[in-house]
Amino acid sequence: MSVEFIGNDEKIKSELLTVNMGPQHPATHGVLRVEIKTDSEIVAEAIPHIGYLHRCMEKHCENADYRAIVPFVDRMDYLASMNMELGYAITIEKLASIAVPRRAEVIRVLVSELQRIASHLVAFGTYGIDIGAFTPFLYAFDQREKIISFFESISGGRLLYNYISIGGVSRDVSNDLIVGLEKFCAGFEDQLKMYDTLLTQNKIFIERTANVGVMDKDYCYDYGITGPVLRGAGVEWDLRKKKPYSIYNEFNFEVAVGKGLKGCVGDCWDRYYVRMVEMEQSVKIIKQALVKLREEGGEFTTKVPRVIKVPVGEIYMRTECPKGELGYHIISDGKKGPYRFKVKSPCFTNVSALGEIAPGMMIADLVATIGSLDIVLGEVDR
Amino acid sequence: MTTQTDGQLTVKKYFTNIWDAVSSISKGMAITMGYVLKEKEVTLQYPEEKETLPKGTRMRLYNDVDDCIGCKACATACPVGCITIATEKRAVDAPEKKSSKGTAIKFDLTQYTIDKALCCFCGNCTTVCPTECLFHTTEFEYSTYNVQDLKIDYLSDEARSWKEKALKDRL
Ligand code: SF4
Ligand code: SF4
Repeated sequence: MSVEFIGNDEKIKSELLTVNMGPQHPATHGVLRVEIKTDSEIVAEAIPHIGYLHRCMEKHCENADYRAIVPFVDRMDYLASMNMELGYAITIEKLASIAVPRRAEVIRVLVSELQRIASHLVAFGTYGIDIGAFTPFLYAFDQREKIISFFESISGGRLLYNYISIGGVSRDVSNDLIVGLEKFCAGFEDQLKMYDTLLTQNKIFIERTANVGVMDKDYCYDYGITGPVLRGAGVEWDLRKKKPYSIYNEFNFEVAVGKGLKGCVGDCWDRYYVRMVEMEQSVKIIKQALVKLREEGGEFTTKVPRVIKVPVGEIYMRTECPKGELGYHIISDGKKGPYRFKVKSPCFTNVSALGEIAPGMMIADLVATIGSLDIVLGEVDR
Repeated sequence: MTTQTDGQLTVKKYFTNIWDAVSSISKGMAITMGYVLKEKEVTLQYPEEKETLPKGTRMRLYNDVDDCIGCKACATACPVGCITIATEKRAVDAPEKKSSKGTAIKFDLTQYTIDKALCCFCGNCTTVCPTECLFHTTEFEYSTYNVQDLKIDYLSDEARSWKEKALKDRL
């Protein structure tokens, strides 16, 4: 980095100013604190500090039995609870060799794609606010509300669902709700077009995000970055496609990658754009899932004993969550709860990459970069 | 990696930039104005207007204590341990009592409390209940001034008086 921060002028003494951004700051999306050393408007150093939302999730899970863990994993990424549950459920099912009925698999894909849209809508809306556009946020939440009310009708919760249980799902999806979702899908495609005009193609938005916070392919590999941030760097890596879990191999969709349409590959605009295209693809998956749900009947859960018997063993499973790859590492010693419960969080790796690209940026660009990483602190700290 | 500006700024480019900004903003404003004129308002004036929650929404728990067999399955399943149950074995010569599902009730409840301040509304307790006497209702307005008041004693007369309303919310 060839930026000279402190002037050599001996008559004027100058030093870097330390500014704390967060933990209570609207642009840090939760309780992230970034300690910034600034030289006027320019960031000389940015150190992300985490741990403000640490709730000992892993330890809690080690003290609960396998069924009672589901409400805990819900609370990690509270914007994408369904995806958290799905990852946990398929991990335990693999370890304990529990077969899941087909209808449950279809419902699982359906809800996790809906949740992906809901999560990306929050990312889209709040990113608009970070950049200075408030209106898209309202439209995004209007649509998200529809998804949330659907979840409310099937699971009973608005944010923390406890819906995907080990062995299936906890309630069936009725035909009325399927009709409602079909209507939602049709309306949502128009909405996506509207978002495109409203924010994606907005000149000011492009100027603020294109060529800003560039993370190229090698940088992403070095830090182990996954999810939309990695795809934004032009890498076609999506676990749903590359290592299909559940029944994702039966669905027809494309993986969104950043192409550097407005600036260079891997800038904030690309990361944002990947999310927009992913929403489009999710609608495609949802439509296919709805057809399957209509045509196929069957059970929505298998009978599992009240206390699930998990053999002694160790497993690591990863799934593609809206924010990246989420992995569960579970060691079982044959008791009613896990011996060790470790979560590999995508947001944690993504936020750790912030420190290296920050030097030399404007403070406002740092805000844009943090927003484009789309982190949820509940999952970073756990 | 600092911000890069692409290419040289020419006079033509300068004016194209301005034009792009103005036109893209006005396109956005057109959408917003469309919303202002067409769409109905979505805000609910809460205490006056209320949303009807779908059946099965996980709000305050209700236990139909006359149906409860005192098996304590709910207390075991609860991840936070907020259900307290105390039972007494029924005398051998006591009249036979059955739950609505036909299970013989062998224990009399002496205490059944749920600390709603601790409860995380996960619903694990309701899924394991063999007689389905424990379930969530759609009642959500029960805030109190004292946190101790959130400990609900389901054997009390007050809790029993919710029965009629609660049964409507049963799935
Ligand atoms: S809803 Fe969950 S936390 Fe509340 S009493 Fe039931 S099991 Fe416990
Ligand atoms: S599980 Fe149901 S029947 Fe058993 S103690 Fe709890 S409320 Fe009563």
